[in-house]
Amino acid sequence: MIKILLVSENNKYIEKFNKIFNKNIYEFSAMSDETLIYDLIKGDKPDIIIIDTQIPNLKNFNKKVKSTCENTIIIFQLNSEKIDKELIKYANVFFTDDMTEDFILSTININLRMKNSLDMLSNSNKDLADSLYRLNALYSTSSQFAGTLDKAKLIQYMIEGIDKALSFSLTCTLSLCTDDTPVLILNSLYELSEELIEALKVRTILNYNSVFEGKEIPIKLNASDLKIIKHIKYPASRFTFTLFQFDNMFAPISLSDNFFGCIEIFKETSFTPEDATCFQTIVQQVSLPLKSATLYQELIETNHKLEQLERLKSEFISIVSHELRTPLTSIKNSLDILMSGRCGEITQSADKFLSMAMRNVQRLSGIINDLLDLSKIEAGKMDFTFAPTNINTVIGYVKSALSEVAKSKGLTIITDTPDNLPEITADSQRLEQVLTNLVSNAIKFTPENKTIKISSAIVNSKDLKINEYFKDSINLTEGNYIEVCVEDEGIGIAQKDLLHAFDKFAQIENSLSRKAGGTGLGLPIAKQLLEAHHGAIWCESELNKGSKFYFAIPVTNILSPV
Amino acid sequence: MKKILIVDDEQDIVESLKFVLEAADFTCYCAYNGEDGLRLAKEIIPDLIILDVMMPKINGYKISRLLKYDAKYKNIPILMVTARSQEEDKLIGEETGADEYITKPFELAEVVKQVEKYLK
Repeated sequence: MIKILLVSENNKYIEKFNKIFNKNIYEFSAMSDETLIYDLIKGDKPDIIIIDTQIPNLKNFNKKVKSTCENTIIIFQLNSEKIDKELIKYANVFFTDDMTEDFILSTININLRMKNSLDMLSNSNKDLADSLYRLNALYSTSSQFAGTLDKAKLIQYMIEGIDKALSFSLTCTLSLCTDDTPVLILNSLYELSEELIEALKVRTILNYNSVFEGKEIPIKLNASDLKIIKHIKYPASRFTFTLFQFDNMFAPISLSDNFFGCIEIFKETSFTPEDATCFQTIVQQVSLPLKSATLYQELIETNHKLEQLERLKSEFISIVSHELRTPLTSIKNSLDILMSGRCGEITQSADKFLSMAMRNVQRLSGIINDLLDLSKIEAGKMDFTFAPTNINTVIGYVKSALSEVAKSKGLTIITDTPDNLPEITADSQRLEQVLTNLVSNAIKFTPENKTIKISSAIVNSKDLKINEYFKDSINLTEGNYIEVCVEDEGIGIAQKDLLHAFDKFAQIENSLSRKAGGTGLGLPIAKQLLEAHHGAIWCESELNKGSKFYFAIPVTNILSPV
Repeated sequence: MKKILIVDDEQDIVESLKFVLEAADFTCYCAYNGEDGLRLAKEIIPDLIILDVMMPKINGYKISRLLKYDAKYKNIPILMVTARSQEEDKLIGEETGADEYITKPFELAEVVKQVEKYLK
């Protein structure tokens, strides 16, 4: 039915329109009393209002009608052919006295169609605004989810998000992930009595069990286990047991095998399908950050354990080295005194065994020093004194320190050190340690009457010839490097062992080299010391022909260790 | 004869140091813990002290500090014997005042050389 209201005192118009709108599809009424009209249009909005422009107080009346019936079509009935320009402002459609019935009906129809379109538009606008609001709520909730790894906060944001997007009377959230004990969080509009809370507890347990229907329940829960957290918005009022007649929705909060809890939400009016989607979305959205938070927590715990282990390790090394050093000192001192001959003449064979004991005491103290060095470097506690250093001075020092030992084995140390090399920023004592180690190894593994060569050169990073075994693990920045090479004609290293040459205790694997003595820590220490110089170490070797150990240190100034 | 005080809770080490130092014509006094060491130092006012770091009750660093801050004893040279452990590194924090550090295990000849350097 199309509701048409005529506002006029003029019988001519009343009769005319009454006749036009006398069909069943129209519900026509005519009135002139303003108060009555206001009452009528408030309750039952007409589709069309035709206003006789002759009524008193037209402008005011028109304004009031417009504000009450936004979407109603207002038509002015003019009683003279001359149109008052002022009136054009207030209405879009006009009837004049000379209009035929057909013309009036068609005008009415066009406007009705327009009104329908407007109504639809206005409805979809409202829906759009609703969706936009909901989307906004979802968006802000999900950005809140992304901002924290605190599980209690995540659950709180979820409840707040549901409140913003849906508004509810009560939510019951069971959380198994925020506390040591299971928690039931009640967010309610009104106060809840003890009895009601007890009932909600039981209901929550039933819901919880239903999630695992047909499967084994991971943690058996009783209503009495639940710790209650209660947030009441308006404590002055109370909910009664009619609460259970409210519309409700339920969802578990879980991701694959991880179960974090579940949530039930009550509302006095019923939920729409959109509400259900929105609810499910938020609950699903919170499970991912909850899982991340769980993983994060595990990571922190593992990390903590590792830190403890690391501390234990370094304490262990410290204690062991101290406990070893002290008795070693006593042994060494006794040997010193015996060998000095102050306690009596020493026979040749006694001297042989005293020397053997002494050699091994020195070896043992070498191992302890290496262990301490390595644990210090690994703990980042090694102190470096960086200063401009000439590599050839270091080479010269190591050569003179070791040439006696080499000579006693019938070996010659030669050097090839160009004069014009630039200085590097380095800890010269540590470089000596590295080079001493490399040359000592060369001496150890080279048979008599051979030569050991130490050479230095300036090489650009792109011209460094690092072989396939080390290429992937060495990452040097571009620029010029001082490259040092220690070349021997010794037993060499098998291809399969090359990669492990710088591993801790690597030489223990090799029975041949074990005879030569050494700690198996020299090369890993060298590697760490060079890395602290932003440099690298690598080697080439051929079995039974000899080995070449290279290391490189950048020429550019580096003031601090890695 | 110059007097040397040896303080170390490790009796064997004290014994060997005493042996070589007496052979080098020094008179040796021995203490086997920090407390005795400190008392003996104030009693006999030695010409030099050989001091171990890690000892129960009073550690070597503390003894060294106590003596070096006292005008009466501050001129006594102190040779500090250290095991270079991380535990000792933690203690070092403050100035110890020691004149020389000797790392365990040490060469007895080296110790004698150092002692002679200070007591020429």
